[in-house]
Amino acid sequence: MAELLLRAENLEKVYGSGDTATHALKGVSFELAEGEFASIVGQSGSGKSTLLNMLGLLDTPTSGMIAYRGQDVSALAKPAQARLRNSLVGFVFQFHHLLPEFSVLENVLMPALIGGKPQVEAKQLAEETLALLGLEGLEDKGANQLSGGQKQRVAIARALMNRPALLLADEPTGNLDTTNTEQVYKLFRQVSAETGTAFLIVTHDRNVAQQTDRILEVLDGELVQDVRNDYAGAPAR
Amino acid sequence: MLPLRIALRFLKTSRVQSTLIIAGIAVGIAVQIFVGSLITSLQDSLVQQTIGSTSQVTITALDEGEPFVVDARVRNVAESDARVKPGAIAPTLSVNGLYSNGNESTPLALKGGDLKSLDAISSISKRITAGVARLGRGDILIGTDFAEKFTLSPGDSIRITFSGNKTRTLTIAGIFDLGSAAVNARQAFVNAEVPRSLLGWRTDEYAALEAQLLQPFDSAEVAATWRQQLPNLRVVEWQAQNADLLTALQSQGSSSYMIQAFVLIAVALGIASTLAISAVQKTRQIGILKAMGMGDAEAGRIFLWQAALLGVGGTLSGLALGFFLLWGFSFAGASFTITPKPTFIAFSAAVGIIVALLSSIIPIRKTSALDPIEVIQGG
Repeated sequence: MAELLLRAENLEKVYGSGDTATHALKGVSFELAEGEFASIVGQSGSGKSTLLNMLGLLDTPTSGMIAYRGQDVSALAKPAQARLRNSLVGFVFQFHHLLPEFSVLENVLMPALIGGKPQVEAKQLAEETLALLGLEGLEDKGANQLSGGQKQRVAIARALMNRPALLLADEPTGNLDTTNTEQVYKLFRQVSAETGTAFLIVTHDRNVAQQTDRILEVLDGELVQDVRNDYAGAPAR
Repeated sequence: MLPLRIALRFLKTSRVQSTLIIAGIAVGIAVQIFVGSLITSLQDSLVQQTIGSTSQVTITALDEGEPFVVDARVRNVAESDARVKPGAIAPTLSVNGLYSNGNESTPLALKGGDLKSLDAISSISKRITAGVARLGRGDILIGTDFAEKFTLSPGDSIRITFSGNKTRTLTIAGIFDLGSAAVNARQAFVNAEVPRSLLGWRTDEYAALEAQLLQPFDSAEVAATWRQQLPNLRVVEWQAQNADLLTALQSQGSSSYMIQAFVLIAVALGIASTLAISAVQKTRQIGILKAMGMGDAEAGRIFLWQAALLGVGGTLSGLALGFFLLWGFSFAGASFTITPKPTFIAFSAAVGIIVALLSSIIPIRKTSALDPIEVIQGG
């Protein structure tokens, strides 16, 4: 049995107050093991992205608790949360969010440099990560000189740069065509297997979710389903 | 040093914007250096012209025109004062005469003393334009304007009439230019014996003990000290005698400070607005960096570095431009030269950089307060 990586307990998120209050999340609880490959599905506005942002310490729950490797992180101060975000979590968003002023290599290096890793060590790691994602030769290209698929792969390389325990992906292929979408999920699988990184992928596409080992379904802010998927790895229809 | 690296890249990728703001700071600092140095040098020149070659603190008898004995006690008061320019003390005698060439006549104030002492006050030897600096018993040194008016040259003899119908014939040893037309037209220097014999005074009696100071603006304090030490004598100083000039200098100084202050405010507003715009333009990037774990303070330092780089770049360019303007001014044919003071240049440079750093406060606050979720959700 794999070690427990993440525990979310009774997470609530309320926007506004009084009559106009909106409950984006209503008491979501679940656990995620180290190296697990899971997805969160749900309609637009169901609260899945809010949940992901909370787990990634980008957003704070109105109530409830998030613990990483047994440590409650939801009450940590902002600088400590920023450090955890840098070392423990990697993000891949629907939009690649690369820094246009920097080259591919520099973009990938950025999380390591923020984390204070020495330049030489960071560069070697960045080159390894780019190779892992099949991006050799693109190091010196500007972020804006890449195709959509390449940009998203660079964003994934950047998210993996600090070898996070958990990679959170929010509709990572939302802007990609079918071929690139397949490639990205194959990569996720490969990376998960090679690095032991846990994946939590938010998607509204059930075909995509079918490729993960575990599917969590969020509906109107509640976790309504949490199932193992024995058919993972089968080609998406 | 990641914030510095990011700041440099942000500036490099917004080249036009960075160049414009550096040019803006440069112009501001150049104006500050040029106007500040111009006014300071103009004031120094005016002060120099007015009092550079005359006494700044003068001891006389209580009744003006009467002789007083310049003894060791009186000399000691002036000589032991550290504020007095070393050696710049001269006991002098004065007598007014009238020169006439037959057609035209003009009053001439003769100051008598030994050349070394008079030099210490008026630097006559250095300002001789024709002839030699010599004050023998029959010699006279006249000013350029006087010489031109009566077409006189060194070697010419002139006859001067004094009160009581006394006359003296003196030979022009040299012609000086003390930088003031009034002085050059009315003042002449002679051996102390000339006025002494005319006034019938003893050899230790003088009309005045003149002194120049290391800092001319100390004159009021120096005079006050001497008055206490010499209660039976009169002590006058140049500032009390030139109140109008001082008011003019002060007004000029104030207007110069006003110009410099407003230029700096304009520069500060320019940098602040550019950095604020830059902070807005880079909101997405800052949000992404924060999402990757960059702390609020570190993100804020990106704009502090941008401000510092712009400030240093703009200030250095401003120094170069300022010196170029000063160099250009040297061809303008002004009656004085601008001498920039190193302390003022250093002050201007420091002001440029500090203003730039202060201008980054708003963008730093904005950046520090930015929540990465706003950027991530906004796409």
